[in-house]
Amino acid sequence: MANPTKPDKQVITTCAYCGVGCGFKAETHQGRIVRMIPWKEGKANHGHSCIKGRFAFDYYQSNDRITTPMIRASIDDAWTPVSWEKAIQHAASELRRVQAKYGTKSVGAISSSRCTNEEIFLVQKFARAVLGNNNIDNCARICHSPTQFGLSATVGWGAASQHFDSILQADVIMIVGANPTEGHPVFGSLMKRRLRQGAKLIVIDPRRTESVNSPHIKADVHLNLRPGTNVAVLDSIAHVIIREKLYNEEFVRSRCEWDEFERWAAFVSSERYAPESIGPQAGLSPELIRQAARLYASGPNSAIYYGLGVTEHSQGSTGVMCLGNLTLSCGMLGREGVGVNPLRGQGNVQGGSCLGSWPHVFSGYRFVTDDEVRASFEKDWGVTLDAEPGLRLPNMFDAAIAGNFRGMFIMGEDPVQSDPNQGHIIQAMRQMECVVIQDLFLNETAKYAHVFLPGSSSLEKDGTFTSAERRVNRVRKVVEPLAGYQDWEIVVLLMNAMGYPAQYADAGEILNEVARLSPAYKGISFELLDRIGSAQWPCDENAPEGTEVLHRKTFPRANGRGTFMLTEYVPTAERTNDTFPLLLTTGRILTQYNVGTQTRRTENNRWHAEDVLEICEHDASVRGIKDGDRVRIASRFGSTELRAKYSERVSGGVVYTTFHHAETRINVVTSDLSDWATNCPEYKVTAVEVVKVEIGSSAKKAKKKKRDEVVTA
Amino acid sequence: MSQSVAHPEETTSARAVPLERLIVMANQIADFFSPYPGPRRAEGIRNHLRTYWDPRMRQDLIDHIAAGGDGVSPSIVEGAQLLTTGDDRKGYYGPPKA
Amino acid sequence: MMLWSELRDLKDDIDYGTPPRGGSLVSVTIDGVSVSVPEGSSVMFAAAQSRQNIPKLCATDTLEAWGSCRLCLVEIEGRSGYPASCTTIVSEGMIVRTQSEQIQRLRKGVLELYLSDFPAEDVEGGWSEFHDAMAQCGVSSHPYEPTETHLSSAIDTSNPYFLFDPAKCIVCNRCVRACEEIQGTFALTIQGRGFDSKVAAGQDQPFFESECVSCGACVQTCPTQALVEKSLFEGEYSRG
Repeated sequence: MANPTKPDKQVITTCAYCGVGCGFKAETHQGRIVRMIPWKEGKANHGHSCIKGRFAFDYYQSNDRITTPMIRASIDDAWTPVSWEKAIQHAASELRRVQAKYGTKSVGAISSSRCTNEEIFLVQKFARAVLGNNNIDNCARICHSPTQFGLSATVGWGAASQHFDSILQADVIMIVGANPTEGHPVFGSLMKRRLRQGAKLIVIDPRRTESVNSPHIKADVHLNLRPGTNVAVLDSIAHVIIREKLYNEEFVRSRCEWDEFERWAAFVSSERYAPESIGPQAGLSPELIRQAARLYASGPNSAIYYGLGVTEHSQGSTGVMCLGNLTLSCGMLGREGVGVNPLRGQGNVQGGSCLGSWPHVFSGYRFVTDDEVRASFEKDWGVTLDAEPGLRLPNMFDAAIAGNFRGMFIMGEDPVQSDPNQGHIIQAMRQMECVVIQDLFLNETAKYAHVFLPGSSSLEKDGTFTSAERRVNRVRKVVEPLAGYQDWEIVVLLMNAMGYPAQYADAGEILNEVARLSPAYKGISFELLDRIGSAQWPCDENAPEGTEVLHRKTFPRANGRGTFMLTEYVPTAERTNDTFPLLLTTGRILTQYNVGTQTRRTENNRWHAEDVLEICEHDASVRGIKDGDRVRIASRFGSTELRAKYSERVSGGVVYTTFHHAETRINVVTSDLSDWATNCPEYKVTAVEVVKVEIGSSAKKAKKKKRDEVVTA
Repeated sequence: MSQSVAHPEETTSARAVPLERLIVMANQIADFFSPYPGPRRAEGIRNHLRTYWDPRMRQDLIDHIAAGGDGVSPSIVEGAQLLTTGDDRKGYYGPPKA
Repeated sequence: MMLWSELRDLKDDIDYGTPPRGGSLVSVTIDGVSVSVPEGSSVMFAAAQSRQNIPKLCATDTLEAWGSCRLCLVEIEGRSGYPASCTTIVSEGMIVRTQSEQIQRLRKGVLELYLSDFPAEDVEGGWSEFHDAMAQCGVSSHPYEPTETHLSSAIDTSNPYFLFDPAKCIVCNRCVRACEEIQGTFALTIQGRGFDSKVAAGQDQPFFESECVSCGACVQTCPTQALVEKSLFEGEYSRG
């Protein structure tokens, strides 16, 4: 019988992997998902897909899915399966006990960009209204927090100015620190479609990514800068644009703050930002910087797309401001084909940002410090709220080590694996008296947890995701939650058990509350999304079906004008030296997703069964390293082992790896430096040395020993 | 391994972030605002600390400055001073204004 | 190549056969019904607009027209022969007939030929576009004597997620075009000529070893389920 089984049901939903937000039709047969097929009316994918969304869905029924709540007194005990009621009661009383003993602010919560908007909103409400403090953060802290900061400072909204389709009207595409064909494959295909139609391409990236050179695609200018020199190079591009008068004076005069432009123009025109001065520091020829500047300014439509290669630096926020400055100065905003657009790594990073899982803002980027704003939330929620910003994720860990932070609710997040300087995080986790984890699997962080609440995958719940193009997409329940509850229901149970009466008939009611309290989401509801498919915020009475292109007439700033920030280049404190002469930068590949919790549980592993260290042949051979050798990579923070792979994608002095596999433990190596404004970790620059692991030395033992050293350090 | 329980006197400490790290964070902020002229620099730093820092972190910084401010950039001292003078609830919140 | 506005006009439950176009409207008459479609649209697209679904195999609205399967032929007043409606662009005042006895006979002939090299046991119970086209044209068997077929060609099961069964392939080129036009990877080609022509991944490698990135575009577009998700089968896939 070679005819395939015909699915008996279809549900339209949204992919939970990267920030592109592809629409899919999930097909089931007798209640089991048998395939995901791309939805032709999905506004981001138009019927296209990538390996992750299309095929890697089986993780949801993986054998190691936890479907029973569990508790334990100490992290050295075995888990005890208990009823939902018992687990919730235990979590509630333990969190309250910790607060009674160490203070209201001794506990906090973390949500994840894998959660729906409704869940993220609810977790921040849980922290603020139930725990009574603003110790609430989310994983965007460690990826795109500088986007929100840097873009809101210059253009007003911390979000993509365009919709994805806009790229099909771009004449010049500038990719900065991003690798769309691996990280955002469906958008990558759209970009390649436009490049084949003749658009020009500038790539700013230390690696020769697929976008730089692959069949039918070749970058017109590739600035393979030294990791950590983004701000210098972007300022230098601005220098050329000002000195050669390539800027759009009419746009700046009519749409921006002219005085600030003049101040900024004088600042970047300084000789210290001349390509001749910056080129040598960044490892680039000055002429290449000039070419990039001229090409970008020439347009007529130039569009910037950027990723974590911009944000994950000690000057991440400054780098984002540089991009804001560039687009404003050349008038590349307010129409199709232009703009400045962050490519978001996880399905709901934009939603995570919008929905208030931050210690300083409520949903809709409204400041907790603002009395009027706070009053509106207090009225809606019926409680008095903390007027002070709370702790950020890395500061929570710092405070834990200092003994002042003892309890945590973590939803869908694995900080022990994903956050930098793993030894430090583990030390912090060991200080906690009550860690409640809500997740699908016993992840690395769960090793340090006391309560485990089994969550639901995105295939098992209702809600919305907001994609990187600000598009609010509907997530629909395809199969019943394996553990019995949708994630938002679990948070409601916990809120109720802690004495806060929260009641929602469905996720749509939570979205209504979001709309009530967040101006950009004012017009968004399940009804609207079910009717028109999806909508990009801002969505309100002025834009009842959403807004594709931002900044058409004004910028969302007090005076309606865009502005320019002075972006001084400050080299990172993380420098190479004799002991650590190479720079490590990290990234991702097509078949795996983030820390691999989902994709490692699928056949995708056959393409990428381990993280490997990309190193250029010269750097390898002077160290006696052959292609495929096991190597030890060490920084001043720690070391780990993996296999080396000769690669022409990295330049001399730079090595690269991915972070998809827990065993690699690459975040033992990464630095504890972070962005000046947001504490987003500097994953993209760590000084390292790489040595060959001699065959015969027990690699496993060495690894075990090293781990103990790190933990007890 | 049993839970390590803090001594009671430790729990009364306001400290959330080790001082050494706090100083690094503060000086990074100073670096960003360095190209701005004096008053705007101080104001920018003040607003940043007020909007984004947990009050315990701010207080630790203020205390450290009061105790001599070893290792802290002079512009941070200026900015932090604005936090202690006048009504600290007044003023602008949000991303830096150019 | 499709522009942004055209991608946005795609509909989930309709396959226009060729990509929607923008531009000023042109009026044509399809089977006596007048319809206006944007300049540059195909006759097939215009027919779909007037709810006359012309049977097709190598055409789909996510790909540019190709014109190889010869199933979509129509009659156009003032033109001789039976042009393929997917590659024929509308012009003002064009009068098209999508149904006639002669057209019916020709389409039947095309399908019977394809069917003669298709696994016989999979004719019944199948649910591919090929099966739909057969139902549409009233074909369920073919008159040909047993002859050389592709039933002995090896099935490529190397990719963990989908398989390729050359016995079901009609070499319509949709997978090759999807890989180029939609995904932009250019991993697939048609190798050989005539009866020997076949879909090849990379340098005639198994899919898994080629530069294929498993985006699924080829599987999505395949009209015969020659490229098909493994998850739709219980256990191992086998012929017959």
